[in-house]
Amino acid sequence: MNILEIKHLTKKFGDFIAVDDMSLTVGEGEIFGFLGSNGAGKSTTINMISGLLRKNNGSIKMLGKETNKHPIFIKKHIGLVPQELAIYEDLTAYENVSFFAGLYGLRGEKLRSRTIEALEFVGLAEKHKSYPKSFSGGMKRRLNIACAIAHQPKLIIMDEPTVGIDPQSRKYILQSVQKLNEMGCTIIYTSHYMEEVEEICTKIAIIDHGKIIADGTKEQLKSLITDSKLIYIDVKDTDHVDIDAIKAIPGVANVTLAENTIQIHTELGANNLNQIISYFIENKIEIRTLDEKEPNLETVFLTLTGRTLRDA
Amino acid sequence: MNILKIAWKEVKHDFRDIRTLVFMIAFPIVLMLILGTALTGAFDGGDFDDNIALDDMTVLYENSNEPIQQPFDAFTKELEKSGIHFERLSKGTNGKDQVEENQADAYLSIDEDGAKLYLNDQNSIGGSVIQGSLASFVDQYNLITEISKAAPEKLDTVLTASTDHDYIKDQTLLPDQQPGSMDYYAIVMTTMIALYAAISAAHLITQERSRHTADRLMIAPIKKSEIFMGKLIGSIAINTVCIALVVAFSIIFFHANWGEHLGLVALILLTEIIMAISFGLGLSFLFKTPTAPMPVIMIVLQLAAFFGGAYFPIGDADGLLKLMTNISPLTLENDAMFQMIYANDLSLVIPAIAMNLGISLLFLVFSTFALSRREGL
Repeated sequence: MNILEIKHLTKKFGDFIAVDDMSLTVGEGEIFGFLGSNGAGKSTTINMISGLLRKNNGSIKMLGKETNKHPIFIKKHIGLVPQELAIYEDLTAYENVSFFAGLYGLRGEKLRSRTIEALEFVGLAEKHKSYPKSFSGGMKRRLNIACAIAHQPKLIIMDEPTVGIDPQSRKYILQSVQKLNEMGCTIIYTSHYMEEVEEICTKIAIIDHGKIIADGTKEQLKSLITDSKLIYIDVKDTDHVDIDAIKAIPGVANVTLAENTIQIHTELGANNLNQIISYFIENKIEIRTLDEKEPNLETVFLTLTGRTLRDA
Repeated sequence: MNILKIAWKEVKHDFRDIRTLVFMIAFPIVLMLILGTALTGAFDGGDFDDNIALDDMTVLYENSNEPIQQPFDAFTKELEKSGIHFERLSKGTNGKDQVEENQADAYLSIDEDGAKLYLNDQNSIGGSVIQGSLASFVDQYNLITEISKAAPEKLDTVLTASTDHDYIKDQTLLPDQQPGSMDYYAIVMTTMIALYAAISAAHLITQERSRHTADRLMIAPIKKSEIFMGKLIGSIAINTVCIALVVAFSIIFFHANWGEHLGLVALILLTEIIMAISFGLGLSFLFKTPTAPMPVIMIVLQLAAFFGGAYFPIGDADGLLKLMTNISPLTLENDAMFQMIYANDLSLVIPAIAMNLGISLLFLVFSTFALSRREGL
């Protein structure tokens, strides 16, 4: 059963089309990854799903109901973890969660127990009397999540929930997402971190210029580019690397540069590795390491959009 | 219920914000103390009796009812001691014109139909003193005139019993009821700081946006109007508590006189707080950035405070000064307070409340309209 159905969704800001005739479905129980560069239309889509923005065209159905016709019903079943921290610094952790949960109709003992459960879930029960201003970035992120889950929504939308936090907190949050999913929540997850999406999402949509350019399971997406591979070459100095010259080598589809690593996206069966290495030797560019990788989401994104997610 | 939850959250925020509390409570108290102490001399005319010194005032009168002349002379003789001088209107001159031309502070006309009082400036403290002093005389005279017309046989009974029955409430301004400097500043600082509620109100909605909690509020299953009402009520509540504390402090520690009509005082202050909050909210919707309304609010507040007599009493004003004084909402607030407390005159209470509620309505309607057109908060 689909928890969310989007058909021909369009949003314009003046002449700029932020979301362009988008259609997608999210099945109940999925962790749905939303991949796209900045300005691709992810947040605009999420904001329309959650009712924060009005759509220009199309329809959004959640739990079989049109979101614009049944806003209160829909909102009761959504939890939003915004990209920016959305908590009150001068309310305690408990007061933050309790306040937002209270807006969903929870009262009395039920409100208290759900608030404590949410704080326990994100590992902040012992800090329930503390103010967020004394929290680390990771703890604030976890409180941000607790505020969205105490009312036990059916659909949780997480917009870049791990931005700017330490690896330990990131791991905790990713585990929490999976645990929430096991508890029956459907999750829409956006991230800049490809490996996060690859690790936890059961279905992924790649969005570019307001359009879904591919969607499916990780395996389905990877199968779209079975005819290509990625070569990573780590060099000592990139000053003399001419990307256009590498692109000119037969079979090379795309080349990107990230710090000292050159990512070369090349066709399978092109047998051009010798030519690529020759280029570096002839130009006296010292190669430190060379790695050839099977298609992954990064490759998929690069192939479909022509750029890496972090470059975008 | 959601409205109350949001309102309670607002109260918690503000009570935990030390800067707001200091500004709303300590600031007016300190100003009361400094100005009330430093300007004692300016209020007492140098005799250190802690009372406002008023210049001598002239009341022109015309009496065509000769039998009343003797008691009237006795009455005016008493008022001469308070610096209110009575002069019979010269023949061929118009009392009202002379008052309008500032040649006298008031004109009293007495004839068989009753007594009428015309004041130069009803809103000044001097005007209040004259009005308060003459009100009981005018009312008593008018009562006797009406009785003598309708039932002359009962006139003796009324006059004899007049010492036992309060047919007319005595509104005479007693010397010990004149405002001292601390009394003065207790009132004007309180009305001024109530107006400053506009500053925090300007951040009510914009702060939710800058904290990114606006999205979380908007995604909750509540109406935008509930969020708006909750925040409005919360802000009114916290500002009311602050003002109540300031008033209480001024009574307990400065022995400021707030009169006997504390309920009406509270009502004027409450409606003023609502007006200030509505004004701040309205401006926050008028400008696109959160900081843009602040200079406008500060200029308006400072001008309103200055011309409303918050820093020193504005006496007889002419031209632009008079215009500015009349425009300041604090002028009416303060005059309503002083007349009520010191002249027992409630005539300006309703206009002050009506002005507060009228301005509030204007800005609230604008704010709700602007909010309804927005996507999000």
